[in-house]
Amino acid sequence: MSTVTVAAPRRAVVPLAVARAAAAVYHSYALQRVFKAIITIFLITSMTFFLVRLLPGNPVETYINTQIGQYGMSYADAAQQAAGLFSFNPNEPLAQQYGEYLVALAHGDLGRPLLSQGTTVGELIKSYLPWTLFSVGVGLLISFSLGIGLGMLIAYRREGLVDHVLTATGSLLHSVPNYLLAIMIVVFLGVQLGWLPITNMRGAYSPGVTPALSIDFIKDALYHASLPIATYVLSTVGSWMLIMKSSTLATLDEDYVTAARARGLRDRRIATAYVGRNAVLPLFTQVAIAAGFVVGGSLLIEPLFQYQGIGWILKNSVNQRDYPVMQGIFLVITASVVIANLLADLLYGRLDPRIRITAEE
Amino acid sequence: MTTVGAQPTTTPQPAAAAQDEPILSVRDLCVEYRAAAGIVRAVEGASFDLHAGETIALIGESGSGKTTLGLGVLRLLPKSGRTPRGQILYRRRDGRIEDVLKLPNEELRRFRWQECAMVFQAAQNALNPVARVWDQMLDTVRAHRGARRDEVRERCERLLGMVQLEPQRVLHAFPHELSGGMRQRVLIAMSLLLDPQVLILDEPTTALDILTQRAIIEVLRSVRAELHFAMLFISHDLSLAAELADRVATMYAGKVVELGTVRDIFYDPKHPYTLGLIKAVPPVAGDLFEISSIAGTPPNLLNLPPGCSFHPRCAYARGQCTTDVPPLYAVAAGHASACHYWSEVQLSRKVIDARSGSLLPAGEAVPSPGEAAG
Amino acid sequence: MAGWIRAFGSRRRNNKPVAQTVGTSLADLPGQPAPRAVAGGLGLLAAMARNRAGLLGFIVFILFVLIAFIGPFFVPQTLPADLKAIYQAPSPQHLLGTDSEGRDIGIQMINGGQSIILVGATAALLSTLISITFGALAAYLGGYVDTLIMLVADVVLTLPQIVLLAVLATFIKLNSPWLLAAIIALLSWPTLLRAVRAQVLSLKEREYVEAARVLDLGTPRILFLEILPNMANFILMNFTIGMTGAIYAQVGLYLLGLAPLAGNNWGIMLNLAWVRGAIFFKQSLLYILAPVLAISLLQLSIVTMTRSLEDIFNPRLRGA
Repeated sequence: MSTVTVAAPRRAVVPLAVARAAAAVYHSYALQRVFKAIITIFLITSMTFFLVRLLPGNPVETYINTQIGQYGMSYADAAQQAAGLFSFNPNEPLAQQYGEYLVALAHGDLGRPLLSQGTTVGELIKSYLPWTLFSVGVGLLISFSLGIGLGMLIAYRREGLVDHVLTATGSLLHSVPNYLLAIMIVVFLGVQLGWLPITNMRGAYSPGVTPALSIDFIKDALYHASLPIATYVLSTVGSWMLIMKSSTLATLDEDYVTAARARGLRDRRIATAYVGRNAVLPLFTQVAIAAGFVVGGSLLIEPLFQYQGIGWILKNSVNQRDYPVMQGIFLVITASVVIANLLADLLYGRLDPRIRITAEE
Repeated sequence: MTTVGAQPTTTPQPAAAAQDEPILSVRDLCVEYRAAAGIVRAVEGASFDLHAGETIALIGESGSGKTTLGLGVLRLLPKSGRTPRGQILYRRRDGRIEDVLKLPNEELRRFRWQECAMVFQAAQNALNPVARVWDQMLDTVRAHRGARRDEVRERCERLLGMVQLEPQRVLHAFPHELSGGMRQRVLIAMSLLLDPQVLILDEPTTALDILTQRAIIEVLRSVRAELHFAMLFISHDLSLAAELADRVATMYAGKVVELGTVRDIFYDPKHPYTLGLIKAVPPVAGDLFEISSIAGTPPNLLNLPPGCSFHPRCAYARGQCTTDVPPLYAVAAGHASACHYWSEVQLSRKVIDARSGSLLPAGEAVPSPGEAAG
Repeated sequence: MAGWIRAFGSRRRNNKPVAQTVGTSLADLPGQPAPRAVAGGLGLLAAMARNRAGLLGFIVFILFVLIAFIGPFFVPQTLPADLKAIYQAPSPQHLLGTDSEGRDIGIQMINGGQSIILVGATAALLSTLISITFGALAAYLGGYVDTLIMLVADVVLTLPQIVLLAVLATFIKLNSPWLLAAIIALLSWPTLLRAVRAQVLSLKEREYVEAARVLDLGTPRILFLEILPNMANFILMNFTIGMTGAIYAQVGLYLLGLAPLAGNNWGIMLNLAWVRGAIFFKQSLLYILAPVLAISLLQLSIVTMTRSLEDIFNPRLRGA
């Protein structure tokens, strides 16, 4: 009997590693989410690129034309200047521009503002973004916590007075647009009734105070941010409350709650570890959308209170057609929303063991 | 719905030495729900006694009120449920007798699980999906006693071993990681954590495959032999009763219509409904009997028929049945039936000749219990 | 924006155990009430109250529509500026006072609703059409088409709508209300699309669709005749909520000064009032408050109306 040896076909090691990585991503919920976030950010950066260059009323062309018309520059010079501001060169083929754009982004180069060419868009964003993140973050946190607490409360006291009052109030607050709430706050509480020192509360922090990580500074910052935060909270707490209410009502019907009562567990324990813990889960799918909404809302709310955050800057740049700034801020805002989305999804994965292992939805 | 005529008798009790007093005595219990359409009488004057170490099977179809009865013992009814009448007398270890329906909240909480535990269906979502099994067991013990973690750990491991589960595998798992059979066994183990005197099981083998059913039955037998608790299990499956029960109570439209030992029920049923149930189940081994089903459908609990609720479907119904609600008549020692004409009810089935398919004369080849099981 | 509460339904993770054919689960106990069902007199009263609120909302909404579309026939369209009558308090001649140019506020309010409501409705309609078409297509065709559409939907959903609108408004001249409506519609379809897709996916497996497929009735016919009528209520509710979103976006753009300030509507009034410092004078309060209250009331009426619709159509809480 002769043995025939067949040489096994040579396999490179790399594809195997890639295959393993792909399998890991496929099976891990967390990695899937991260992957999706990266893709989304990539898509958005590309979209911004094409938006600026391909839409009618191309701001780059407009800028070049303005420079030519107003300052009598040659096309080449104007294009050169535009390249510096928008961090691209309009003469190159689109694909190359795209490549350079991505490279510049990777270096954190977002161009220079049209109207204050001494600084970069990156610098501008860095100095104003923290204020918005601070006010939006605190606002969302308060709103979420309050909404969860109140939602559970009214679910437990269904059909009672508390239920009707809070549900009606929540519904009311939720319907009124957040900027109108802001206007009403300014008009009534600030100007007309004089309860709040509106003029003093302008700005992100009191003039003359240097930012530092001290209690005093934080108190000052909160003082100034209180009205935007109040607006964010008032305009979103109603929705959280109503979602939590319906979620809690559904959870109270679940068999494991009855089983927990059968086991003689105390009501408080059941409310927190059995009902609350489960009822809160659906809310995490909403955090991303809420974050996007509130961050976007800062565009309208911050100018109303003269709160100098990224929304305020964005409004100014929009009014002044300062395209590089608009582009940069748009990118940053969207990226923060994607990241907030990612964090919420990851947190959800931690909280709900049923989806940790399987990546199916 | 008035009870007219003969005095209702609860099952005749043996000589009242303190030891022989029933552990759980349900007397004329009524449970009703408020619905938009009216009042649903889920349980109408149910009565039975459960003695120490005894196992009673509560058999009935969907809507017979059996699950409601089970929940009612622990007072786990939803907000719309009420118990307008009746008593649930429970005998504590020290001999005191209390009415569960009158227990104040905190004592009721302590009663639950320590004295009387309930095993829910595996198919139900009876475990908190976001907590591990260990946490839930710890919760259970901590709610009643301030035991140390390692003590609780030891007990959990011992109980899980008794139900044929590996503690290492199960304790740190989440409920969704366990199979149906494993979950059922976890629920059984959890119910025994505080060493209750009474265990109520709701459909313990439903929705499990046949092999797992067998395993669960074995587990229940062995735990019962070791811990000596009284068991009340609720099912629609008569064969389960044959396997596990000492006595059987059949329920129809919210009432206990017959109560007796397993032998009584299977060989000498004295209520037309029970008769119908027995006749509907073919034996696996032995002679093949003629199978017949009970004509008609269960009644609407909002609008029960007057007199005996079963009379529209009953072959023996006449006169008195449409007007007088039958009480539980004593048939013999330990056997009662809620039928005015119980003395006429006889189990007689024709055996089908396997070869010719024709019927053999009645009264031949009475099967043994093992063969009556499905 | 009321729109984001709608997304809840489509992304809910449903872990209910499979319905048992044998045996009773706790939920099947007789008389077990659904959380929102009418169990007892008090519950019935509550449901009626809720529906009365919805009826009220509906009436208010209709009133708004009537005043906005029929009112302008009874009042002058353009008002002359009368600088002697700036910021006058309410009087029999000027029921709501005058604005910064001496024009009657009441008349402006009557004229001001039409454009807002029209653009809102158009945007919502467009958005609904896009959602239905692509949602049904994605669910029905599956595969790459599905993945692609869902990816685009996810990206658009993540983008903060008002920011993108603001940026777009700087590039595109929004001189026509239809253009405004179109752009708003382009950013609000993902929520309804997910819901439509989820519904179509579940309905796809139902028997009558199978039957229709067997009879080879063709995809569009199956979609329009079998599946969509089942979703009519849901689509209607999303349309009305979409209107609130579109109104929010519109007025926001006006407030930012990005939508053209020619013409006369509540949004423009808001912008002018704010910019001209109407908040600082007691007499000019109505100039800013009138549009604020009108818009708020309009939104409120639509949301209340929709919530009652939900109660009526969906007595059990989120069954799907």
